Amino acid sequence: MARGKAKEGDGNWKKFIWNSEKKEFLGRTGGSWFKILLFYLIFYGCLAGIFIGTIQVMLFTISEFEPKYQDRVAPPGLTLIPQVLKTEISFSISDPQSYGQYVEGLNKFLKNYDSDQQASDMIFDTCADKPDDYIMRGAFNNAQGQKKVCRFKREWLENCSGIADSSYGYRDGKPCVVVKLNRVLGFKPKPPLNESLPAEVMGKYNQYVMPVHCSAKKEEDADKVGPVEYYGMAGYAGFPLQYYPYYGKLLQPKYLQPLLAVQFTNLTYDTEVRVECKLYGENIGYSDKDRFQGRFEVKFDIKSS
Amino acid sequence: SSPQDQYELYAVEMEKQDDGAMDVKIKKKKTTKAAKKKEKLENMKKEMDVDDHQLSVEDLELKYQTSVSKGLNSTWAGEILLRDGPNELKPPKGTPEYVKFARQLAGGLQCLMWVAAAICLIAFGIQCGQGDLTSADNLYLAIALIAVVVVTGCFGYYQEFKSTNIIASFKNLVPQQATVIRDGDKFQINANQLVVGDLVEIKGGDRVPADIRIITSQGCKVDNSSLTGESEPQTRAPECTHESPLETRNIAFFSTMCLEGTATGIIVNTGDRTIIGRIASLASGVENEKTPIAIEIEHFVDIIAGLAIFFGGTFFVVAMVIGYPFLKAMVFFMAIVVAYVPIRLWAVFQVCLSLTAKRLARKNCVVKNLEAVETLGSTSVICSDKTGTLTQNRMTVSHLWFDNQIHTADTTEDQSGQSFDQSSETWRALCKIVSLCNRAFFKSGQDNVPVPKRIVIGDASETALLKFSEITLGNVMEYRERYKKACEIPFNSTNKFQVTIHELEDPRDPRYLLVMKGAPERILERCATIMIKGQELPLDEQWKEAFQTAYMDLGGLGERVLGFCHLYLDPVQFPRGFSFDSEEMNFPTSGLCFAGLISMIDPPRATVPDAVMKCRTAGIRVIMVTGDHPITAKAIAASVGIISEGSETVEDIASRMRIPVEQVNKWEARACVVNGGQLKDMESEDLVEILKMHPEMVFARTSPQQKLIIVESCQKLGAIVAVTGDGVNDSPALKKADIGVAMGIAGSDAAKNAADMILLDDNFASIVTGVEQGRLIFDNLKKSIAYTLTKNIPELTPYLIYITVSVPLPLGCITILFIELCTDIFPSVSLAYEKAESDIMHLKPRNPRRDRLGDVALAVYSYFQIGAIQSFAGFTDYFTAMAQEGWFPLLCVGLRAQWENDHLQDVQDSYGQEWTFGQRLYQEYTCYTVFFISIEMCQILDVLIRKTRRLSVFQQGFFRNKILVIAIVFQLCLGCFLCYCPGMPNIFNFMPIRFQWWLVPLPFGILIFVYDEIRKLGVRRHPGSWWDKELYY
Repeated sequence: MARGKAKEGDGNWKKFIWNSEKKEFLGRTGGSWFKILLFYLIFYGCLAGIFIGTIQVMLFTISEFEPKYQDRVAPPGLTLIPQVLKTEISFSISDPQSYGQYVEGLNKFLKNYDSDQQASDMIFDTCADKPDDYIMRGAFNNAQGQKKVCRFKREWLENCSGIADSSYGYRDGKPCVVVKLNRVLGFKPKPPLNESLPAEVMGKYNQYVMPVHCSAKKEEDADKVGPVEYYGMAGYAGFPLQYYPYYGKLLQPKYLQPLLAVQFTNLTYDTEVRVECKLYGENIGYSDKDRFQGRFEVKFDIKSS
Repeated sequence: SSPQDQYELYAVEMEKQDDGAMDVKIKKKKTTKAAKKKEKLENMKKEMDVDDHQLSVEDLELKYQTSVSKGLNSTWAGEILLRDGPNELKPPKGTPEYVKFARQLAGGLQCLMWVAAAICLIAFGIQCGQGDLTSADNLYLAIALIAVVVVTGCFGYYQEFKSTNIIASFKNLVPQQATVIRDGDKFQINANQLVVGDLVEIKGGDRVPADIRIITSQGCKVDNSSLTGESEPQTRAPECTHESPLETRNIAFFSTMCLEGTATGIIVNTGDRTIIGRIASLASGVENEKTPIAIEIEHFVDIIAGLAIFFGGTFFVVAMVIGYPFLKAMVFFMAIVVAYVPIRLWAVFQVCLSLTAKRLARKNCVVKNLEAVETLGSTSVICSDKTGTLTQNRMTVSHLWFDNQIHTADTTEDQSGQSFDQSSETWRALCKIVSLCNRAFFKSGQDNVPVPKRIVIGDASETALLKFSEITLGNVMEYRERYKKACEIPFNSTNKFQVTIHELEDPRDPRYLLVMKGAPERILERCATIMIKGQELPLDEQWKEAFQTAYMDLGGLGERVLGFCHLYLDPVQFPRGFSFDSEEMNFPTSGLCFAGLISMIDPPRATVPDAVMKCRTAGIRVIMVTGDHPITAKAIAASVGIISEGSETVEDIASRMRIPVEQVNKWEARACVVNGGQLKDMESEDLVEILKMHPEMVFARTSPQQKLIIVESCQKLGAIVAVTGDGVNDSPALKKADIGVAMGIAGSDAAKNAADMILLDDNFASIVTGVEQGRLIFDNLKKSIAYTLTKNIPELTPYLIYITVSVPLPLGCITILFIELCTDIFPSVSLAYEKAESDIMHLKPRNPRRDRLGDVALAVYSYFQIGAIQSFAGFTDYFTAMAQEGWFPLLCVGLRAQWENDHLQDVQDSYGQEWTFGQRLYQEYTCYTVFFISIEMCQILDVLIRKTRRLSVFQQGFFRNKILVIAIVFQLCLGCFLCYCPGMPNIFNFMPIRFQWWLVPLPFGILIFVYDEIRKLGVRRHPGSWWDKELYY
């Protein structure tokens, strides 16, 4: 095995890029490049055709009105308005600038709930003023055109509606948040049956309401949170069932999901207070990994000065 | 403490100084205390103080309780063996096992992975420090990286351990033998059984089995270069010539090579107590040189690593530009680099080699260094020895001429051939002469051994005749006893005949029978009659001409011809009891009756013509290089196919066309026989020219030096040359060759030492097996590389699309690591077990300069064609999974910013449903899993298409490679496990996916299969076409 391997010269690089003798660029002549590029053009053309074809076929099998699977999106998430960074609401009572963004967020979100937005009877349905059973509006297709949507009055949110108090209580150090249940097509939330619910929730129980309850995250913080006011339809701290199920973007483009405003009227200032709001229901799940599923956590840090 | 322990720290350098005196310098290797050093030095000197060379033979006998004629007593020898231990060097303290293991963990790429793991850990630490405990991805990534390094390290260590063992076990297969005299009898024993005091014989080609005090010597010369650096052979003789044991002529040292002559001697030192044994540094293993294939693989891994770093760097920059935090981008970069660098190629390589070595060992090929097998695969010229390799190395009667007719005898090794008509009277007479006029005899006690295998005392042609008559006649020894020998004149070179006179079997017949054999022309001179069909006819001109024709015919076959004649002596002149005198020759030696001619040849081995044919179809040139006569060489070459049927030499053409040799167009002659004399006058350019001109070459009457020149000339032509040889003088050629092949039976130790491979059965056909295996290794490695490379593209494109089109990430880092380092390893290794494609031996040997292991065609085909199809499969599955969960493809485009914003808990999908960040993350993991499964499904089809490079997979058989089938099943099970094992989503980002998402990539898998079959069909049908050039790898 004694073979001295001839070392290839480094000077071949230039020749490789452009070989003037053979008129080769990167080892191929023009004709050769043309042939191989044509081959790849056809090859990738065919592949792309097959790809687009399969995607089209796949899309054919999927309804526009109803998702094929809801493996990940249900059970739905519980979210709050205003949308906050790091789930923290931090402001100073004396400085309107510091809570401006929250007020802005609430204003923007609640605009859809103004009564002038809900004028059209073609789109909106006047549902019962008190919690009621699900309203089924037929199959998930557009055979009967668009589906109607229940009205939801902004006034029901009372102190947190922003009508009387345009700062949603932030000016007084009594911040409001609006709670909503994420839209999931065809999802019918089931109110809880079991008796193991917290006493506060049981107190205002209604069979057509999905109850929401906010309390201190940690037991020892309970007194820091103080009283919590809930403003919802007919004074119920929850979501009435007649707004469900949701029929999707195409059938209910103006869908208004039921809201619940929560106001913390006596939060301890100058300290971090962690509050957890939880939705109770039979088909509501919670997850350690997804902390917005069926509940959420928010941290208040209000500076008194 | 025992002396050998102490000397391990030292290296001894012996230099010949100008005044010729030997100076022993002792160098300290490790720094210890000076005093200790001095003490040990003294010890060393004392040990060196051997006086055996100065003792007289009688004193020696006394000292070692032995005898210079009868040797040791065997029982006593056994006791000494128990006392001193076997005569072998203790293996040098190798690298400790833990260091070997550590080395496996600290290679270049492994270091890279450690760095990557460290970065991940730091990233995780910083994340923890910021109080963000949501995701432990970085921790898991780090753990995965470390696990990978450790697992591959363990595998590498295990493989190294295994191949070391294989090599070690091979050493035991070819033990060194020594001839020893004990109790007055000669034995061949393993050299490690020798003890001090043993009387041993050494001859040219042997390795000296221990330190020996020479007792008798006939022109014995040894090569002491390994000990003293003197390159000239040193004479060894019984006389003490110098007081230094290293200088004196009457000591031969352990492990030096005896070059020529013979000697006997008494062993004075064995094992570690020999001079060599004390020089610990010499015993430590020679550094392994890197073989071409190792370089090839390294080169290839480097290129891929470079590419990976380039891609990783690009992504890093892009990730930084689109606003990823530095650490995350870094982890990204590391993951890409680590995933794409094919470190497990070495594992595949090792598996290939050890598998092949085992297979070869089963076929009697012992490979001394594993990588040599691959070199054998690229061999384009084999310079083969004749005797013993191509032939059986035993003279055998091949033709007989009697009754004016040439009869063919059976020359096969197992006597399975046809015999001739034995009814003629002449045959009976001839047979009688053959049996009686023969001095050879069987060694006793071999009645149960088949005739061809019996050991015979006698020269080669007598042996051949003895065996021939034993087979045709039956018990020759008994037959000879019935015809009592009265007188004998043995063969000598002046007479060129041999005569014996026998009494007849029948006691009533008083005649004596004189039988004679010898050189045919001499025999004929002495004959007056010739026996034809039992009748004695006068030997007239007509018969003489018939004789001449037959003699020329047989001689032309390259055979050794002997003539046989007899005479019944006149009972009157030579009555019973007549005293014949072999000196005076008081009996007639002319006027005899000619019986016939018998010709003998060393016949080719039965397997050789086939093997030569195989070589030829495999594009390998077989050149015969022999020391034998040109005519014999040519005859054997023709009979084994080295000179094929219808090929003519220049001389043949000249004699056919009846023109002078000079007028023949040399290019017309395919064959050429060159003898050593002609070679001597040739310039090396002429030789190269001749090698180019005539495809079929035979070199006869060559010297070892010329053999070397022939090898060099072949190499000048760009050939990879394999050389076979057995003698001491072949070792330069064996060393010079790209791969030296030594003979296990006939080979001398010197040849075996110089060779890379040893044929235990001396059979040329085994070389062909070796070539086949070598090609197989290369093929399988290539297949494995192609398989390994393919998936880099479907791993890369998700990032490409992610960054350019801003879709949610289709494939995560950890998932890539799982593909690269977990699920795909077994299939890529299983390709090492792939059987050869049936046409592997119909292709030309690869050109090592052009046909590289990882060439452009392979990479282009894997990356831009199969890899591209796999990418499309992955994306189809990805978009399917997304769309079926509510995210239509067009919505996905540009979604990345929203999708990855962990403050948005209500991102709307195509149906208006609102997704929390957590839900989106799990959806992303689902996509990873789906993409992963797509790649796996395509890789299953990929491994199937990689089974062959030219043939259809249907020709190769789907299930013949059981390991590969198991690997596929294993891969599927692993995929299922990763998908459906609880806890996977949060640890390794695998989600349980719906069954139909396993099926989405299948059409693309089938496309891969069909496309590759079409490619192979095109390559087979249209060799040399554009399709073949562009798409064959």
